[in-house]
Amino acid sequence: MFIHIKSYVASIFMALVFLSVAPNNAYAHGEKALEPFIRMRTIQWYDVQWSQESLKVNDEVVVTGKFHVAEDWPRSVPKPDAAYLNVAIPGPVLIRTERYLNGQPWVSSAALKLGGDYDFKIVLKARLPGRYHIHPFFNLQDAGAVMGPGHWVEVTGDAATFTNSVKTISGETVDMETYGLVNGVSWHVLWIVLGTAWLLWWVRRPLFIPRFKMLKSGNEDALITPLDKTIAKGILVVVPLFVFGAYAMTDSQHPNAIPLQAALDQIEPLPPTVNNGAVNVKMIRTEYRVPVRTMNMVAQIHNYSDQPIRIGEFASANLRFINPSLDQPGKNEEDTLVAAKGLVIDDDKLIQPGETKTVSMAAADALWETEKLDGLFRDADSRMGGLLFLYDPSGKRYIASISTSVIPKFD
Amino acid sequence: MATTKLLDIPPQPYTGEKARLTRAYDYLILVLALFLFIGAFHLHVALTVGDWDFWLDWKDRQWWPLVTPLMMITFPAAVQAVLWTNFRLPLGATLCVSCLLIGTWITRIFAYHYWNYFPINMVLPATMMPSALVLDVILMLSNSLTVTSIFGGMSFALLFYPSNWPIFGLFHMPVEYGNAQLTLADVFGFQYIRAGMPEYLRIIERGTLRTYGQYATPLSAFCSALLCTLMYPLWWYLGTWFATIRYVKTI
Ligand SMILES: [Cu+2]
Repeated sequence: MFIHIKSYVASIFMALVFLSVAPNNAYAHGEKALEPFIRMRTIQWYDVQWSQESLKVNDEVVVTGKFHVAEDWPRSVPKPDAAYLNVAIPGPVLIRTERYLNGQPWVSSAALKLGGDYDFKIVLKARLPGRYHIHPFFNLQDAGAVMGPGHWVEVTGDAATFTNSVKTISGETVDMETYGLVNGVSWHVLWIVLGTAWLLWWVRRPLFIPRFKMLKSGNEDALITPLDKTIAKGILVVVPLFVFGAYAMTDSQHPNAIPLQAALDQIEPLPPTVNNGAVNVKMIRTEYRVPVRTMNMVAQIHNYSDQPIRIGEFASANLRFINPSLDQPGKNEEDTLVAAKGLVIDDDKLIQPGETKTVSMAAADALWETEKLDGLFRDADSRMGGLLFLYDPSGKRYIASISTSVIPKFD
Repeated sequence: MATTKLLDIPPQPYTGEKARLTRAYDYLILVLALFLFIGAFHLHVALTVGDWDFWLDWKDRQWWPLVTPLMMITFPAAVQAVLWTNFRLPLGATLCVSCLLIGTWITRIFAYHYWNYFPINMVLPATMMPSALVLDVILMLSNSLTVTSIFGGMSFALLFYPSNWPIFGLFHMPVEYGNAQLTLADVFGFQYIRAGMPEYLRIIERGTLRTYGQYATPLSAFCSALLCTLMYPLWWYLGTWFATIRYVKTI
């Protein structure tokens, strides 16, 4: 019997340890595990930037960026009725002090509109020294997480110097790191002492076998003394009185206490930035050539703007395929997710205002495979999407969100 | 000599070597029970009450006082069934809740604070100790499953919210944050980043009880009290069923 109890205890402890391992870090770097159609056709990130990459405890880093919510949202993914812009980070090593969507302060979740354009800003304050890979990412209700591009941030300094105070509406300044801790622990200690006293009151006596024998031999009355009964009656009266007294006292100390807040924030998309009518891109046919890891896309591009334009970049699921023959800003060639020469365009000439041109593009790089996007034609939803960036001679950017089914070629 | 009389222990059937042996057996069982309940009850609560007990910004006035007592009356009822029926020991609930708190505090400090960097005040657990004490003394004074189910179960649930408000009330002070009114608890949730815990996962006053607005807490508490009166006998029988197998073989 003892062996059984021991193995039971051991398994419970294993479970306990396992359970305490992972309150939170599940999402970090899990982006490759997500289906390609979710990464390519839900939140389409671009222009994500970090204000600095090495900071001291208490310094702030500002993460800014933009995203387009794909029109061709996958059928199997619930619509983004509650979305929360989060930060993939190993716990609160930096804290989030501010967050904005389209310039509007944003503390809760919000609904996103399909086809909508948004820009965001997150202010993070360094709390614990270390080197962290940080991604902005979206938690989408019922759909999961959509990672944005990641970046290394190094925090130095002394964790003990971290401060974080918040002012309540009644004017009290609260140190978030310690507020309510002494009070909470004191209440716990008080109740634990009382509980332990009750336990000791009984445990000091002969327990199991003697009491069992007394009970079976009809001497039950001797097991509970009149004093025990008096104490029990005392507990029955005093504990509830004390509890409700403390409750009333707390209530009078915090007359302005409010319930937890759970409103959705209402934030409208920006005026159209992507697919704003200046350039229209219609996908004709897309083939993915497995052996050479190349996405061949044929698109019909109509230029409605008054400037000639050229294709500069194709971006999807945080991979960026750059057309090297075009000089354009923000190439970030050293970034491992950038294929600096990854986009080759047949007949790469300017598309004149008013012109409609059929263009063949090849986005080629091992990244399709290493980032596990090449499995998309094995999905039930074997379509892909992404952003096509076009530029006019003055450097002005035109963005189209494209969507197309993909046909694999195995030869 | 009032003190010695006060601490006199009731008569027992054994003396000498037998008394010493049975006492050694007491300690053996107590230590095993301690570890068993720390592990099992803590696991049970982590899996059922879970986030409601982990995070400040989950402790709403509707679901938290409904779920917590209902899921925490389970082990106390089962252990009481064993300890009271066989030994007339009125400490099952207090023992379980103490073990739970030991397990909970260990994980909050080591897993949540040291390992995952959350400030401890953000992950303060709730206490069920007052409820457990009252449940134990009701069983002892009534010596009745029916009375304990009804009055014990109800007090267990009804005492929960008032016992914990002194710990958590101050986190409900309003703060102007991001052009909105939040509680301090909500601010904790916003600032101290949990990648796996987006805001919308919280279940804050959802469901039909919501209709009653201001009265959400007492309604939830009474709803929980009613359910506890049913949950208590259910787990009592689970306890007796479990105990039969174990003790018949042993003694
Ligand atoms: Cu990363």
